[in-house]
Amino acid sequence: MAAAPRTLKALEIDAATVPGRIEGVSLGLEAGQVVGLVGPNGSGKSTLLQVAAGLLPGGAVRWDGRPLGEIPILDRGRLAAWVPQETRFEFGFSVRAVVEQGRFAHADDGTGVDAALAEFDLDALADRPVDRLSGGERQRVLLARALATRAPLLLWDEPLAPLDIRHALQVVELARRLARGGGTVVFSLHDLRLAETLDQVAVMEHGRLRALGRPESVLTADFLRAVFGVRASRGTGLEMELP
Amino acid sequence: MERVRAEVKSTPCARPARVLAIALLLAGGAAAAPVRVVSQTVGTDEALLAVARPDEIAALSPLAHDPEFSAVAKESAGYPVLRVGGDAESVLRFRPTVVLCADYSRIELVSQLRTAGVRVLVFDRYATLADAYDMLRRIAAELGGGAPARASAVIADCQRRVAALQRRLAGVKPVRVLTPSTYGLVPGEGTTFEDLCEHAGAINLAASLGHLRGNAPPPGEQLLTWPVDKLVLGGSSMAASLAPFRALPPYAYMASVREGRAVLLPPWVLGCVSYRRVDGYYFLARALHPGRVP
Amino acid sequence: MSSGSKDRADGLLWGAGALLVLLMAASLCLGDLRLPPSQVWAGLLRRDSWFATVVWEIRLPRTVVAVLVGAALSASGLVMQAFFRNSLASPGLLGVSSGGAAGAVLAIAFGWASLSLWSLPLAAAAGAAAATLAVVAFARRGATTDRLILAGLALNALLGAVTGYFLCRHTDVFDRNAQMVFWLMGGLEDRTWTHVLIALPIVLAAAWLWPLGRPMDLLSLGQAEAQSLGVDVRRLRRQLLLLSTVLTAAATAVSGPVGFVGLIVPHILRLLAGPAHRRLLPLSLVGGAAFVLACDLASRLIGGLPLGIVTALIGGPYFLWLLRRER
Repeated sequence: MAAAPRTLKALEIDAATVPGRIEGVSLGLEAGQVVGLVGPNGSGKSTLLQVAAGLLPGGAVRWDGRPLGEIPILDRGRLAAWVPQETRFEFGFSVRAVVEQGRFAHADDGTGVDAALAEFDLDALADRPVDRLSGGERQRVLLARALATRAPLLLWDEPLAPLDIRHALQVVELARRLARGGGTVVFSLHDLRLAETLDQVAVMEHGRLRALGRPESVLTADFLRAVFGVRASRGTGLEMELP
Repeated sequence: MERVRAEVKSTPCARPARVLAIALLLAGGAAAAPVRVVSQTVGTDEALLAVARPDEIAALSPLAHDPEFSAVAKESAGYPVLRVGGDAESVLRFRPTVVLCADYSRIELVSQLRTAGVRVLVFDRYATLADAYDMLRRIAAELGGGAPARASAVIADCQRRVAALQRRLAGVKPVRVLTPSTYGLVPGEGTTFEDLCEHAGAINLAASLGHLRGNAPPPGEQLLTWPVDKLVLGGSSMAASLAPFRALPPYAYMASVREGRAVLLPPWVLGCVSYRRVDGYYFLARALHPGRVP
Repeated sequence: MSSGSKDRADGLLWGAGALLVLLMAASLCLGDLRLPPSQVWAGLLRRDSWFATVVWEIRLPRTVVAVLVGAALSASGLVMQAFFRNSLASPGLLGVSSGGAAGAVLAIAFGWASLSLWSLPLAAAAGAAAATLAVVAFARRGATTDRLILAGLALNALLGAVTGYFLCRHTDVFDRNAQMVFWLMGGLEDRTWTHVLIALPIVLAAAWLWPLGRPMDLLSLGQAEAQSLGVDVRRLRRQLLLLSTVLTAAATAVSGPVGFVGLIVPHILRLLAGPAHRRLLPLSLVGGAAFVLACDLASRLIGGLPLGIVTALIGGPYFLWLLRRER
């Protein structure tokens, strides 16, 4: 009997350890999913995303089955896009110029840039210098730049935090669209209600991965009590979605 | 540089000897290209004025006209001076054929002058009287013509005067001196001041007691224990020259300063490196041993 | 970049280039020898040996050194600003100029400087290189921005102390002291073709730097971000550090420490042409050259004011003006 073909996972991490921040984190994510990374403050979410993006050394990381060490740095720009939690723009590049930087690894200057700008409602701001933007606008620029890379693996660190409710929902909708197209989106967030609507949820606590799986099986009341220290119950409250 | 050469036309006519004589004279005059000398230091200014003809002097050092530093402030009045801190062009303005500098001149300047085809004489020894005579001889040799003879005459005159001074000061009790300064250094062994003292019947305590070599910071408190007979100051007014030291430690506490026991020399004497220091010997000797030296 | 600002940047480059050519011509015509332009021209074409000497041996090397020094310091400043993500970074941040100063002062103090035309510049270059190596060594283990800046601060202080020591210690040889002070103020008097030769690494470094404009854009907005976009950040930072050091060291070696060029020129050009390094690099090179040449001309016209003082006299008011603008 022939062995079943091994499906390549979009992202695989083996025992990632960064002293003082995360320890022994292992996970495997299949392509076509939107994964929410949750956990209390200081649980290592940002660190894990950085390790996954190859920005911090700390464990064996594989993208689509290829070990990170074997992928040249330039190619990595095409294969994964990482968005930091906050960033400072020292110089006044225009919004468009920053989004164009996403094409660096492709060595072309413009493909898909207009689409990325439109996706995040940045057309009107295209010529504004980035050092004159609000926090939310800056975040959208970073996301647009990540989108412009057309990378199949997207690693976003708290992308929704500075965004208003409409833009936040748009980002999640975009993530779902990208996943349907075969991409993999992993982003950290604090809104557990939103995390519940995603494909998978990964929970970090004190630098360890406590759980990874479908939201309904992970985010049980007992689990939430143990990890987050809150009592959860289901009821109806204010719910919002895109019109 | 462009030179004017006299063309001698020979004509196949009478009196060939006279024509030959004129030709030789003209050739002799034209062969020696005019010498123009620029001097960059006060010491070489003084030496140059002693041996050169006026038309041979193109420019003098920036301090040449300053009686504080130059022994020839009056004699140099008619000559142009260099700009302070100038570059090669500011020297070449005077179209020199020879430039006199010291060993501390910037090497880039010396190099550029040589590139421009100018002969540069560098003087690196000027502490003793023998060095001063050498300076005269070197400059005179460079000038040629009547200069070496003038140099020899000046040297002979200096030697005579120095010998005369020695005779007058024979057996005199040397006066213990010190020359203070407001910028934290006093001259010790191997300086021109030391040389001055040796020839004027004085003992430089900075060298003999302090064992200071060259220009060195004085040992602050020890200074007060030195038995200074007279201070040697440069300037035109005793009061003005003494005043700064009355307020400056450690000099302010010295008996010689408080009592005003000092001799005053023309200011250029203390820094003189050329043969004019012989005048300096006489100034100092006269001040320290009034009976002996007229 | 929108085409409008691209055209403007191109226009600026042409303008700066034209200005540079004009300034070079002016530089050849200016000097204590007061040669009228016809004689300068005759000298340039070597029709007359005396004028040719003045133009080719005295004025032209000085002009070329001014151009090289200006280009180097400005490009180096631009690199530092991208490297440290701070538009107020300067070439001397990591102690390169202090190292050069210490090396030169040592050479003058011990008399090596008067041995040959090469001694002083080489000593300065050696000092500059040693300083940079020291900074990088101090900041080992991940040479992060903060560690580098701290190491640079420490080294600037130490080297300043060394320089100060020799200035004090050798006050007895007044003229050596004067030479040290003269050199420390920066200046282009009597530069020769030897100095041009010593400054040649500037051309090589500039050529190497030229294609790095695009990755510098990314680096200037964040190291980690640049890395994730495909820039080999470690390699790029090493290259930038090396190039900035070579540029600053070579410039300091031939002209002494000249401040503010690396700070002001990229700053102004960024205001005029935008922050894209692909445009800013050639602009900085040409603009910096024009700036230093203009300052040298000013220094000659004012009667020999040291170059470093002229640039400082321009630098101070510039930053005061910036302060007023920010408000």
